[in-house]
Amino acid sequence: MNRRRPAVTSLKYLALVTYLIFLAFPLFWLISTSLKTPQEIALIDPTMIPREITFDNFTTAFSEQPIVRSILNTTLVAGASCVLTVLLSIPAAYVMARYRSTLSRATLVWVLLSQIFPFILVIIPLFLLLRDFGLYDTYIGLITVYVVWSMPFALWMLRSYVATIPYELEEAASMDGASKARTIKDIVAPLLAPGVVAAGLFAFVSAWNEFMFALVLIRSPEQQTLSLTLVKFIGAEGVARLGPLAAASLVATVPSLIFFAIMQRRLTGGLLGGAVKS
Amino acid sequence: MSAAPTVERPPASTPSPRRPRRTWLGLDRDGLILAIPALIPVVVFSVYPLLRGIYLGFTDARAGRANETSFTGFENYASLLDDSYFWESFRIGLVWAFSVTILQFVFALGLASLLNQKIRMRWLARTLALVPWAMPQVVVGIMWRLVYHPNAGILNSVLMDLGVIDGNVDWLSSFEVALPAVIVVGIWAGMPQTTVVLLAGLQSVSKELHEAAAMDGAGVWQRFRNVTWPAIKPVVLAITTLDFIWNFNSFGLVYVLTEGGPGGATRLPLLFAYEEAFRYGNYGYAAALGNAMVVVIALFVVFYLRQRMKEADER
Amino acid sequence: MRVFKAAAAVTAAGLVLAACGSDDGGDGGSGSADEPVELTFQTLAWQTASIKANEQIVKTWNEENPDIQVELLQGDWNNVHDQLVTSFEGGTAPDVFHYESTTLLDFSDRGNVLDLSEYLSDGIREDIRQGAWDTVTYDDGVYGVPFLQESQVVFANKAVVDKAGIELPTIEDPWTWDEFAAAAQKLTTENRYGAVFPLKSPANRVLNLGRNFGADYFSDPSGDAKAVFGDAEAEVPQRIHEMIYTDETASPDGVGMSSSDALPAFFDGQYALLPGAIWLRQQLTEQAPDGFEWITLPALEGDSQQQGAVAQTLSVSASTEHPEEAVQFIEYFLNAENQVKLAAGDWLLPTSQEAAKSPRLNDEATGWDVATATADNLEMAPFQQVKGFEEWKSKIANPALQEYFSDEISIEELGTKLTEDGNEILERYQR
Repeated sequence: MNRRRPAVTSLKYLALVTYLIFLAFPLFWLISTSLKTPQEIALIDPTMIPREITFDNFTTAFSEQPIVRSILNTTLVAGASCVLTVLLSIPAAYVMARYRSTLSRATLVWVLLSQIFPFILVIIPLFLLLRDFGLYDTYIGLITVYVVWSMPFALWMLRSYVATIPYELEEAASMDGASKARTIKDIVAPLLAPGVVAAGLFAFVSAWNEFMFALVLIRSPEQQTLSLTLVKFIGAEGVARLGPLAAASLVATVPSLIFFAIMQRRLTGGLLGGAVKS
Repeated sequence: MSAAPTVERPPASTPSPRRPRRTWLGLDRDGLILAIPALIPVVVFSVYPLLRGIYLGFTDARAGRANETSFTGFENYASLLDDSYFWESFRIGLVWAFSVTILQFVFALGLASLLNQKIRMRWLARTLALVPWAMPQVVVGIMWRLVYHPNAGILNSVLMDLGVIDGNVDWLSSFEVALPAVIVVGIWAGMPQTTVVLLAGLQSVSKELHEAAAMDGAGVWQRFRNVTWPAIKPVVLAITTLDFIWNFNSFGLVYVLTEGGPGGATRLPLLFAYEEAFRYGNYGYAAALGNAMVVVIALFVVFYLRQRMKEADER
Repeated sequence: MRVFKAAAAVTAAGLVLAACGSDDGGDGGSGSADEPVELTFQTLAWQTASIKANEQIVKTWNEENPDIQVELLQGDWNNVHDQLVTSFEGGTAPDVFHYESTTLLDFSDRGNVLDLSEYLSDGIREDIRQGAWDTVTYDDGVYGVPFLQESQVVFANKAVVDKAGIELPTIEDPWTWDEFAAAAQKLTTENRYGAVFPLKSPANRVLNLGRNFGADYFSDPSGDAKAVFGDAEAEVPQRIHEMIYTDETASPDGVGMSSSDALPAFFDGQYALLPGAIWLRQQLTEQAPDGFEWITLPALEGDSQQQGAVAQTLSVSASTEHPEEAVQFIEYFLNAENQVKLAAGDWLLPTSQEAAKSPRLNDEATGWDVATATADNLEMAPFQQVKGFEEWKSKIANPALQEYFSDEISIEELGTKLTEDGNEILERYQR
């Protein structure tokens, strides 16, 4: 692959760097802002690297809001949502891709409808339902909602990944008398790994960032998720306390970046990587 | 829709022929066991509230403790037809959704191909590419407002230093550039999602086929067209469809940036439904707006999926 | 049980009225004797000082009232509306909540907030300015207790105005709009605009300042309201537009800016005068570079110095089980002493007349003397009683004013939009 001229390689890196600057400069900005004094934040010529570094923003943010607590809460909620979404979606996606049944078709309609109908208009009926189930102000309620509402994406994507796996691979297994569940666990799931990671990341991030439903469902201060905590640095008419907000946001960004760094490895390999050769 | 947009159809005799087939909704026992754990929560916490939401669109439901809700049939839709502000916002919504979806797809495909290659520090590049995903939503809008700030923003100062512009541009409140400016933010925000999905899709491209084609002297473009593209097509179809739907259904980010201004130039359709429900308390009418959006988007989506499937069949 | 509760409530209300806000009313509550009554209170405080004030007041209350325990929750301004609307539907709203007078008409119409008129003591009724009570009163019902108000003043870069030899206005002799325009003219140079009007969400601001010239914008606001646009209504927008496009003494950048957005260039000396609300002083104090001096100038005068104003409020959810305890808590929370802390924390005007006399709220160095002096000119914003105002503002007024201030439409077209298009919307609310 890399027998090419160095010019092509340089171009490639140039393109990559351009992408990364566009996508990642806010992280740089966040770090820089979180270390600035209020005076420096309000400068007419924004400085990239703070002239005078201060940690006051972190002190303020941590003393006013339970940042660590909400990171832990959010990790729990997002982690559980991620795992449950994946576990429930793999078999269901398999059924959708492999059976041309009424249920598969109905599921497809539901997947699309649930995405097309604005979620914001479902919030009130959904909220009343959870209240009736006694799930107001509970993580179980929050996780249930996140799992159920991440599943359309997970199903939709996994189903199309399953479709790229040749059916012959499974036939071989079922000839050997393996049950469907086994076939999925041993043959389909490993091949799906990158798709599962993509779906899992989605479920995690959706739960990590979700705001509107957490706003109406969670009441107790000690149960607050991150997005609820962060908005408390923003006041009337959208005026923000930039320093503490940036500091808190930075602290909130790090765990998900670490999670991404670990998960990204699993985006390679997987599908047909080894299976077809054997 | 006669079939799912699956490119490779499973063989007709999918379930094992050895077992007597007792089917419910077209599933045998194995199928049911696999589907049911997902099915129950979905029906209770998604299908039911969705149907309820859709039903509200045919009632006069309003906020308030004393209000009785009654079924009004198509009354909401009659007033909806007169709602010229809502329909005007559809044009903006379509421009927004199409621009963001298409550009996002093109850029994400480029990025995903780069990230799929053997490059140095790949783990770092991949992680940094996901920054828009990791940043808390609340800070994203505020940050972009500062980037676009008319006289203390980074964008204007960088562009002036480069000599691209000679005076400050008021990105978010000028009638000409406000919509393009928010579209850029929309692309930025959705890039990780699309990139990750495409990157996962690229894994299904057979390396052997690629190498074989290279041996035969196929160029980069030919290899992409004949080897890569067919392999990732189902994934492309799935993600572009969802991206389009999501983009059409978004308004939060744009609202933080412009509040729909200047002069309504960035008012997206869902903003109307949101305001009707949460600001004015007209749940019934809001749901009717939602239903109207469903019909319009569904038309586009079904058309798109059909089109792609036909192409797939012809190949 | 229910009958008992109702009876208890009536008795308790009587007790409270008789006790006139004294702190021992707790034992009249409807809870059983052993268990303390538990109330939830959601505040919207977001500045360090006011968060501290809230925590401290609630803590003191809890210590002094073991049988009425208050749990402090923190909401946020930008999402509290959605949260309240949803929790009213589900009956999960906090017993006492902090919000704004403009929303109380809708909430009271829907039966979500309690009419406090029979619970309030004379003490608090007398201490809070009548103009503030007006903002929460609809048809004799009192749907909240008003406590913080904002008013509009003008901030100036001291070095620049001193150097230009501008004669500054005083509380007794404020600038008229003409004098303001003339000063801006004088202060405009090659690199500097005399003034900047932050106009990001222009409707509220234009309507409130319109009272300077007696602009109503609506006829019969509390009945079949119609949008109107005559000479009085045109005054403020026209004057601002003229300064931006004819005199070129006000910066066009302001059109998309919030007042905070205008600060970097104000600190940089690019704008000399910055009309803004009194809370901006908090940011000026915190963010001004060393050596930058700013001063607070009195509100401008048109035909009068009257300004429309709304109030931040504490209200009681209609679904509360303990209305009289809730009101007792509110009366304590908003007594004069506490209002001083809250007003100072948010840099806003207290509604308590007693609190307004506090030396802390009359300090000249941070513009408190000027801010406090505006209190007499605050009247209920006329639009607050108009049904459908929010929709009129969002769909018509803000977009049309943005177009006008961007010089895309004429003042006549602005008038047509506000009235003809606007009335179509208002009509729907009158059916």
